[in-house]
Amino acid sequence: MVERLITDIGGLPAGAVPREEVAQLFWEKHMMAMFNVLRDKGVLNLDEFRRAVEAMPADAYRRSSFYGRRLDAIADLLVEKGLIDRRELAARTDEIVRAGTRDHVR
Amino acid sequence: MSGNAALRFAPGDRVRIIDLGKPGHVRTPTYAREKVGIIDRYCGEFENPEERAYGRVGRERIPLYRVRLMQCDLWPDYQGGSADTLVLEIYHHWLRPA
Repeated sequence: MVERLITDIGGLPAGAVPREEVAQLFWEKHMMAMFNVLRDKGVLNLDEFRRAVEAMPADAYRRSSFYGRRLDAIADLLVEKGLIDRRELAARTDEIVRAGTRDHVR
Repeated sequence: MSGNAALRFAPGDRVRIIDLGKPGHVRTPTYAREKVGIIDRYCGEFENPEERAYGRVGRERIPLYRVRLMQCDLWPDYQGGSADTLVLEIYHHWLRPA
């Protein structure tokens, strides 16, 4: 029995679906643009992205958001492909957080 | 396309969506597996997302179909109309004649 993918939730109890519009944050738009560029240049594809999201640990998946999962999946794929180094990414992230960011929280 | 060519489906054909029990990235939802529907239309041939998900691009293209299922076949407690249907896009290798 193959375990059901975390995205394969059709028919499972889920509670009410929130219907209100949520404004996009700057980093979310920026990250989507980055994703589109990486896809159009053939660095990664949509199916790889979906596979990377599905590979996330279940609790991390649930704690994250639509955009958060996409960002983590991009990072995971770029590390997997040897294009970035996880320590480099962590160091640069720390640097940005220390410098203060505009809108990384809602 | 050689291996699959003999098993083409046409609109109106009854098909069963099978459960390949395949690990990794697949796009056939669990709730639709082992259900019977009707071919709605042929969508064309595309690279298999189950291969592309692991970076294997530029390989064989496989047929994709829209399969129309009865909502009441999918959900035992379905409260909507008895004629309600759901259309799913399913790749050829997940389908068998029914």
